[in-house]
This record gives sequence, C-alpha cells and structure tokens, in this order.
Amino acid sequence: MATRNPSEIHETLLQQAEKRLAQGERLIARLFIDLDTSLHFHSGLMVLTSARLLHVESGSSHAWKLKDVDDLKLEEMGATAAIHLMQAESSVWHGRITSGHLRDVEAFLAKFKEQRGIATSESEACEDDDDVFTAEEPVRTVSAGKPLARLLQFSSHWYQLMLLGFTLTVASTAAGLIGPWLTMSLVDDVLIPLQSVSQEVQISRVYRFMLMLAAAALLTWILKWATTYVISRVAERVTSHMRRATFEHLQKLSLTYFNKKRTGDLISRIGSDTDNISLFISINFIDFACDVLTILFTAVILFQLNPMLALAALGPLPVVAWLVQWVRGNLRGGFAAASRAWSAMNSVLSDTIPGVRVVKAFAQEQREIERFRVQDQHIFDTNDRVNRTWSFFEPTIYLLTDIGLFVVWGVGAWSVVHGNTTVGVLTGFVLYVGKFYGRLDSMSRFVASAQRAAASAHRIFDILDVKPDMPITSGSLKVGRLSGEIEFRGIKFRHGSRQIIRGMDLKIAPGEMIGLVGPSGAGKTTLVNLACRFFDVSEGAILVDGHDLREMDVIDYRRNLGLVLQEPYLFFGTIAENIAYGKPEATRAEIIAAAKAARAHDFIMKLADAYDSTVGERGQQLSGGERQRISIARALLINPAILILDEATSSVDTETEREIQAALDHLVKGRTTIAIAHRLGTLRKANRLVVVEHGIISEMGSHEELMSRSGTYARLHQAMVEVNAA
Amino acid sequence: MIDLVSILQNANVRPLRLFPLTDPAHWIAILDERGQELACIEDPSALAADQRDALDAALARRHFVPVIRRIMAITRADDGHDWFVETDRGTTTFRIETDESIQTLGGGCIVIIDKLATRYLVPNVADLDRESRRKLERYY
Ligand SMILES: Nc1ncnc2c1ncn2[C@@H]1O[C@H](COP(=O)(O)OP(=O)(O)OP(=O)(O)O)[C@@H](O)[C@H]1O
Ligand SMILES: [Mg+2]
Repeated sequence: MATRNPSEIHETLLQQAEKRLAQGERLIARLFIDLDTSLHFHSGLMVLTSARLLHVESGSSHAWKLKDVDDLKLEEMGATAAIHLMQAESSVWHGRITSGHLRDVEAFLAKFKEQRGIATSESEACEDDDDVFTAEEPVRTVSAGKPLARLLQFSSHWYQLMLLGFTLTVASTAAGLIGPWLTMSLVDDVLIPLQSVSQEVQISRVYRFMLMLAAAALLTWILKWATTYVISRVAERVTSHMRRATFEHLQKLSLTYFNKKRTGDLISRIGSDTDNISLFISINFIDFACDVLTILFTAVILFQLNPMLALAALGPLPVVAWLVQWVRGNLRGGFAAASRAWSAMNSVLSDTIPGVRVVKAFAQEQREIERFRVQDQHIFDTNDRVNRTWSFFEPTIYLLTDIGLFVVWGVGAWSVVHGNTTVGVLTGFVLYVGKFYGRLDSMSRFVASAQRAAASAHRIFDILDVKPDMPITSGSLKVGRLSGEIEFRGIKFRHGSRQIIRGMDLKIAPGEMIGLVGPSGAGKTTLVNLACRFFDVSEGAILVDGHDLREMDVIDYRRNLGLVLQEPYLFFGTIAENIAYGKPEATRAEIIAAAKAARAHDFIMKLADAYDSTVGERGQQLSGGERQRISIARALLINPAILILDEATSSVDTETEREIQAALDHLVKGRTTIAIAHRLGTLRKANRLVVVEHGIISEMGSHEELMSRSGTYARLHQAMVEVNAA
Repeated sequence: MIDLVSILQNANVRPLRLFPLTDPAHWIAILDERGQELACIEDPSALAADQRDALDAALARRHFVPVIRRIMAITRADDGHDWFVETDRGTTTFRIETDESIQTLGGGCIVIIDKLATRYLVPNVADLDRESRRKLERYY
C-alpha cells in the first residue's frame, strides 16, 4: 500500500474502528502505531473505548475487554518502543512504534490506566467531550509556491518604485530600438540613392540622421542609467528587508531550533543568500525585463517589415525554449548544492575560529586546514558542475543565433534579388535579428541567475517558514512583577525520544532558596530550562504565582528572571554594556552596585579601561571566574523576582565564592532562588536541598536531615569531604 | 566471559551498538537494567554460534535504522520537507526540518534524522538510482 498521505490511511483506520463499536460504547483515546512486529512500516490504530481496547489494522482487528487487560506496558528500545498488553504477568500481544511518538503513547497509556480504573470499579465516567475521533488537524501542506513568486510578493511593498523602474525599463528598451529603425531609413533613403547616383539627394539628410542616431543613443543612455539606479534601490530595500525579517524571525525561534542548526549555515543564509537575491533583482531582473521587451518589440517589428523573413529568422526559437527548460532543472540543483557548500564552509569557520585554542593545544592546525580545504574543494566542485552545464549552454545559444542570421541572409538576399525587399529593410532586419538573439543570449544568463536566486530564496524561506514552536503569543497573560512562587506539578520532559525528567513535584515558596544537587547529567539544568520556558514540559505543568507558564506572555515572564548560566556568555562590547544587557537604561550607579554585589568590581578596576574595557566575543580575554561574576552582576542588575544560578560560582576560588555567597545571602532575600551547585558548601544558605537523580527528585530536606538519611546526598557529601581531605 | 544466552533472557538486559551507523557489526555493549555495562564485545563473529545467535536475536529486536532504497518524492512542507521513500522496511513518509538533519558519514554514506528522531540510512548515495540521486542532490 503505497499511499503517500498517512492521514488518508489514518482516516480509513478510524472508520474501521468506528464500525466495530458496540451500542453505547464510547471512544476515549486513540493511538496510531506505525510499525508491525517485524519492525516494518505498517499503519495500525489502537483505540481505547469505555469498555474495550481495540487494535485495528487494514484487514484485521483484535479487541480485549478492559477488565481482562491487567496492564499496558511500555518497553523503550532506543529507536522504537513496544507496547505490551499484559494478561496474568505475560505479554499476550504487543505493538511496535517509533520512539518519536512516545509522547502520544504515554498520553494513551495514562488514559488507559484512568479508564481501566473506572471500568473495573464500574462507576460511570464523567462525560468528557474531547472528540478524539475527529480527524487530525489537517496538515497544512505548503503555502510555499515557487520561491521566485514569493520573492515578488516580498517586494510588493515597494510597488511604486518597482512601477517606476518598470516604466523606465520599457522606455529605455524602446529607445534602444530607435537606432536600427533610423539605420533602415538611412540606407534606403540616403545611402542607396547616393550610390546609384541616378537621383538627387541632399547630403544634409545624412547629418540629420547622424544627429538623430546620436540623440537616440543619448536618450537610451540616460534612461538606462535611471532604470539601473531605481531598480538597484528596490533590490537593496528588498534584500535589507529580507535580512531583517529573517533575523527577526530567528530571534523568535525556540532553543530547540538553534540546537539543531549550525551557526555557519544561518550566517551564510542571511549573508550570502540574500546577496544572491539582491544581485538577481538589481541586475538580472532588469536585464530580463529589457530582454523580454526587446524580444517582443523586435518580433513585432520583424513581422511588420516582412512576415516571411521574420518566420525564417525566428525558426530556431523553439529549440532555444526547449534548451532553457532542460538546463533550468540542472542549474537549480547545482546552485542549491553550491549554496549548501557555502554553508558548510561557513560552518567550518564558525566552528574552528572560536575553538582556535583547542585547535592549537592539540596541534591540529593542519587538520583544520585540510577540513577547510575539503569544503572549499566542494564549493569548487559544485561550481564546476554548474559551469559544465553552462559552458555547453551558452555556445549553443550562439550557434542558434548564427543559424538565425544565416537564414536571414539567405532568405533576405533571395528576396532582394526578387525585388520583394529593399536592401535597407534587409540591413535593418539583420540588425534587429542580431539584437534579438543577443537578447536571447543574455536571457539565457538570466536563467542561471534566476535559478541561483531561487535556490537562495528557498533557503531564506526555509527559515521564515519555521513556525516558532513555542509562540511568544501563545500566552497573553501579562504578569508584571511576580512574587516568585514556583510549582512543578508532575512534570515530565523528553529531549526527542530520551526521557530526561521523569516526573517531578516541587513547590517553592516565594523568597525561598532551593539548592539543586545531584550527579552530572541528572537533569538539573534541564529543570531550570523548563522553569525559564526555553522548552515546554511534555506532561504536567509549571505554575508561577498560580499561573500556568504556558498561559503567560513569555517576554513578560522572563523580565522577572535573573539567569546565570553554566557557560557564561559575554557579548562583544564593554563590560558596562554586558552588565546592563538586561536593562540597557541602567544608570552607572546601578551598574557599579551590581558589579560590587557580584564581587566583580575589584577586578574590573584593574582592567585598562575599567568599565569601558571591551570584552571580545564570548569574553575570551577574561578568566572563567571573571566571566561568571559579570554574568552574576548582569542577573542581579535587573532585580529579578526569580534568580536562577546554574553552577554560578563553579569557576571562582573558594575565597571569592564565599564573598559572592555573602553578597548573595543578602541579595536572595525577597526573591525566589534556585541554585545548582556541585560544591555542596555553596548551598549552606538554602532553605531546602533537592537531590535530583535520573530525572526524578530522590531526596529533599535540609543539610542535616539529608545527612542523617545517609542517601545520595550523604554520599555526595562524603565523597567531597574525602576529595578535599586528600 | 558472560553467557549471553542466559543473560539476554532477562528482558531488561540489552545489547547496544556502540557505532550503530559507522560500524554496526562490531563493538556491542551489553547493558543491565540500570544502564551499566556488563560486557563489551568487539567482534561478535568470534563468539560461539549459540552465543552469537542470542546476540543477533536481541539486536534484531531493537535495531531500527531503515535503509533507504529509493526516494519517490521530496516535497516542501510548511516546516521542512516531506520525504516519501522506499526502505528495506517498506515505504514510508517522514518529515525533516533542517538541512542539518542530513549528515554525511563519509564514503557516500548519509544519515537522515527526521523530525521524530528516527534515523534513516543511505549506505552509499552512488548506489541509488538516478532519479533518487537527483532528488537527494538538492538537499545535501
Ligand atoms: N538539547 C538536548 N538534547 C538532547 N539531550 C539533552 C539536551 N540537553 C541535555 N540533554 C541531556 O539531558 C540530560 C540532563 O542534562 P542536564 O544538562 O539537565 O544535566 P545536569 O544535571 O545539569 O548536569 P551537570 O551537573 O553536568 O550540569 C543529559 O543526559 C544530557 O545529555
Ligand atoms: Mg547542568
């Protein structure tokens, strides 16, 4: 069954399931499964009703009474998972599914547990009118359209300028055609009579023609100049708009997106791809418009002059059309590959340059040079491929031009001999045909640049089409200043198919300080990421001041957050700017106060330009501890209701840590603080310590309580004491 | 040396390929239910036949990396591209989100990671038919 659209199969399965329902049987939940037991792709459907569990696949189905099913057990097996139907401790049936659907599976199992409880206790379930059987949200397939058409749409904002540009184009093209016309008259009315001597001609007419020719040339020049100027302006505006729109859009995307993308690729899309588009609009597009117009005009003129000659001259045209069509697909693929090669090269750069210390430390310069060379070679190769197609295409067009001219000369001479045409008309004709095919040649160049622009536009729209998966607008609740009560209510979280948080309940009172401890990789950072709403929980909810995080306006909420990350990040700029990052309007007094509180003031004073010292990208020239203290100052400056410190003092010496601690002790008053630390001493002041292990909270309490329980915390503590003693 | 036949009977003990894409035939770890390594087998072909069969069976139960044989269509969707392909496990559609979802592993081998984190393998691009290669070309 090679149906392309999975939702069609789903639809039929749903109908099949509906038919099998008994009178009064209600549908509770459903789950599409995508594999069979031999792990081949095969659509199936599991349905939970008020009394039964059904499995439906094309052509067959099974059903079990709910009270006969002891349990549905989920077995996660890496890329896939199995759902076991348990009866008397053994699996009587199982279905397989790819792990990407685990969220759905868990939701289904939860419904099952709930429903089985109800079915066995025989009490009637509350009507819950979640219509599980309405077909899935229709997958909106592609508004997209052709990238070039969308590009036009993008430019529609400047339609006035575009219109002006277009008018100028028409005018300048028309002006360009005056020349041959004049030549025609010059030959027939002046030169030929002059030569045959039989008639009287005034030499002055020659001068007049010359003057007119010069005037036509001048006019063409002025009009072309104006056209280019106007159109380039449009092009610059369109691309600058495009760059900004893309960057704005990027800022709205969630961390999940950035986790997947390479920096170099994004940079190259916003940089060089928009540049391709700009070039296309400013240069090639007018050229193309001119070409089309010229070709149309000349065709009309040619037919007017002599239809038979015109037909002969335009004979090779269909061949050209076919050639263009053929070469287009070829070029498009080539240019897409070239753009990707650029991205890859940029990625190497954005990978290697920030990591230059590691490169040097491991003496891998040669290897990085090689890596760059390979990518560069790749660009070379892709371009080479394009050029191969290209080098065949262009001469072919020339050949066709020559054939056209050849035919015109032949047929023309014949007509002149038979007196059907004058020499002047033939001369004009040859000039026009030359123009015609010359235009065709430049039009063929347009094919290339259009394909290049299309490939680039495609890459830009790739970004613009990504819907922010955590829309800023999703919650509209404006919270203002929070008091800082945080509640994690049964939260679970997956990164892809990997379950990182497996169910946590924690309530933090306003102003309380919580210390999060636990082994590396336990999920501490993930937990605070969730609290910042960088990601959304897959199950459960996080409530702040009693509001679900998902209902709040994210921007508004984050104004209440002070965050110090495990890897502090400084932007290019002065220290003062970095500290005031979250509150650009902060006064100098505030900046200094924050720096003092973070114990950064002393070392800042030692820098050459004190607060005006520029720290490079990522603050390379500061020490790890100094960077940390600046980021603490940054978090403190905004006076957050909720302060999150992820290993905020891990890179400072114990003495400095104690000082920062003292300052923090003073500062955590009146705000909720979540502090993560491996050095347990850091958390002395915490009201409660929470031990996170394997994505769950394993222990909770004060230092003394946890020590007396001799669990994980006591073990961690013991290990630390031993290390310190050693 | 542990006895794979008996130990793999335990449903919670699982084998794990350490290089599932670049060298699936070697380096297989055996993990217990807590994810601790019990053994690590460099070359399963050196095992006794019964041991190897037990291992192969356990691996087959878990291994899931469809190998793409033919690409029928790649269409643009509003967040990425929909691929319609024929694999060694039947035909299927999947969606990929970004260009980074397609990774090259050298030697013409590419891995495609779809939106739901399923891995699809093309062992050698050169072995695909012309049409498929042409379609793929635009994306990697
Ligand atoms: N973006 C991601 N995608 C997939 N898995 C992730 C991602 N970020 C983190 N993880 C995984 O989630 C787990 C928990 O990570 P987390 O950063 O929360 O650990 P942690 O408790 O902060 O550890 P540490 O003390 O070392 O900072 C880790 O096993 C990590 O591999
Ligand atoms: Mg961490």
